[in-house]
Amino acid sequence: MSHVLNADVIALLEHPDTVRILATVDGQGVPHAVVKKSIHLGDDGNIHYLELLETSATNRNMVRSIWFDGTVAITLANPDGRSAQIKGRPVKAHITGPLFLHHYNRLKDIDADAELAAVWIIEPRLALDQTFAARRDAERASHPHFAHLDRLRR
Amino acid sequence: MLNPTRNRYRNEPAFDEVVAAHPDFPRLIALKIDVQRRGVLYTESAFRAVDPERHQLYTWGGVHYPHSLLLRDGTTVLANPQPEERDPYRVEYTEGRFVLVDEGEIIEEVEIWPRPRYYDKKTSSGLLMKEVVSARPQRLDIFASAFCHFAHAEDNGCKFCPLPAHHRQLRETYDLPTRLRAHDVKECIAEALKEPGRFTNIHITGGSVVKGKEILDAELSYYIDLLKHIGELFSTPRFPSQLLATAYNEKQLARLREETGLGSFTADIEVLNEEKFNWICPGKAHWIGYREWKRRLVDAVGVFGRGNVGTGIVGGVETAPPHGFTSESDALEATLSEAEDLAEKGVTTVHTVWVPQKGSEFHELKAPSLDYFIRLAKGLQGLRVKHGLSVDFDDYRRCGNHPDSDLARLQ
Ligand code: SF4
Repeated sequence: MSHVLNADVIALLEHPDTVRILATVDGQGVPHAVVKKSIHLGDDGNIHYLELLETSATNRNMVRSIWFDGTVAITLANPDGRSAQIKGRPVKAHITGPLFLHHYNRLKDIDADAELAAVWIIEPRLALDQTFAARRDAERASHPHFAHLDRLRR
Repeated sequence: MLNPTRNRYRNEPAFDEVVAAHPDFPRLIALKIDVQRRGVLYTESAFRAVDPERHQLYTWGGVHYPHSLLLRDGTTVLANPQPEERDPYRVEYTEGRFVLVDEGEIIEEVEIWPRPRYYDKKTSSGLLMKEVVSARPQRLDIFASAFCHFAHAEDNGCKFCPLPAHHRQLRETYDLPTRLRAHDVKECIAEALKEPGRFTNIHITGGSVVKGKEILDAELSYYIDLLKHIGELFSTPRFPSQLLATAYNEKQLARLREETGLGSFTADIEVLNEEKFNWICPGKAHWIGYREWKRRLVDAVGVFGRGNVGTGIVGGVETAPPHGFTSESDALEATLSEAEDLAEKGVTTVHTVWVPQKGSEFHELKAPSLDYFIRLAKGLQGLRVKHGLSVDFDDYRRCGNHPDSDLARLQ
């Protein structure tokens, strides 16, 4: 199990209403952030997601990341206000084998037309609580100078 | 530090040093090249951990070898076992995983190709299916014919080619027909397709057969029949497939396209230099000729369309002594300039990594440096980018044996 993901982040990852966004970067440094519904916590404690399109910008960026040690970011946002960000490294792409076939078959049951290009494994390196109240408290604690004076008025 | 064995076998810079000189080249693809170049030695721990129920194996000289390897990015490595004295990478099993080891250090985690479900089934004619149609991680491989006219009838085969010797042995060991029968192949593919998600391409190849009203007509008719049988298994008129055959003339190409559901056509020119081609591939040179081979590839683009026609070269064989290029930079320049001529006309070139193999005339020679292969792979992929050519039918997944087309994952 990953020690990077605490119970709150795991709960967020496992909540069905959580929106999951994967942000990658292309060769020119241009960011690309898209919703990936399939992002989930794998049995190995890493983040897994299903890539359905071989030549999607995300898939190309993921390949670039695994080849050149790039980092990707995953944003989790729940309608109840909880939010977290995970930074991680793509460490494996399953393009065949048991895990790939497991998801391929599952996917076919959901959408007979769906193709599967890869099951990507992202090793989390850092998880941040992005819930606004938590971020604001942290900001105030670490940067007390950053405040409008009227807010501090007696 | 180089180990004494390597010092004797290859006097060259270390892997990390070579890779560091190419920061824009993926380390995993460089590793693939190096593993192919140097081969592998499966250690006792690896042999013990191999599971015939889960892993794809083949038997050679009474030993059950893992078919080959996969890297963690999904890259296929087709590496031959090599003896210790050839300085191979070692494959070990430690802490629940297979690893590549060099100089005592773990370099990468690897996987053994997974075994497809159809492998132990038999055709109605009694043949073991895995001996009729073999599998790569996502491709079905049909080596249709062990007979190559150039090699067997004229002793004029390509000097790097171990296939006729290899296949003769396979056919004898497993009592397979010289040429696979279409209905056997069809049965195997039908069975393979029952496993969802396992395969994305069908690859057919075999030796050259010059017989026929026009030369190569017999080879062509055989492949047409085979492809028609396979085509009956699909609901679409075309199916993802690659025929790697001898270079046909325009009329023959048109027949192939019209009468079958074939998706792409490849005819390997092997060496992109006329003089070296004439020396290394005397049979091809005699029956077709270098310039005609190139012309026929371009004709194939007219028939199959841009992005559906390719040619393969045995990367590095152009440096084989005594008549090959003596300088790697000259070899590279000559190869890439000819590949560019083809790319301009819609033909894509892919390379394999030349490994001097037993059974071939060149088996005592040494392949060029890792640096050479990195430059070659980069150069060929660069031409595809420059000329807007795709290589979808022969990429990391449909094939997996071309470091240059692995790079197309970023294109
Ligand atoms: S590479 Fe040359 S010798 Fe080998 S099977 Fe092909 S044509 Fe024949």
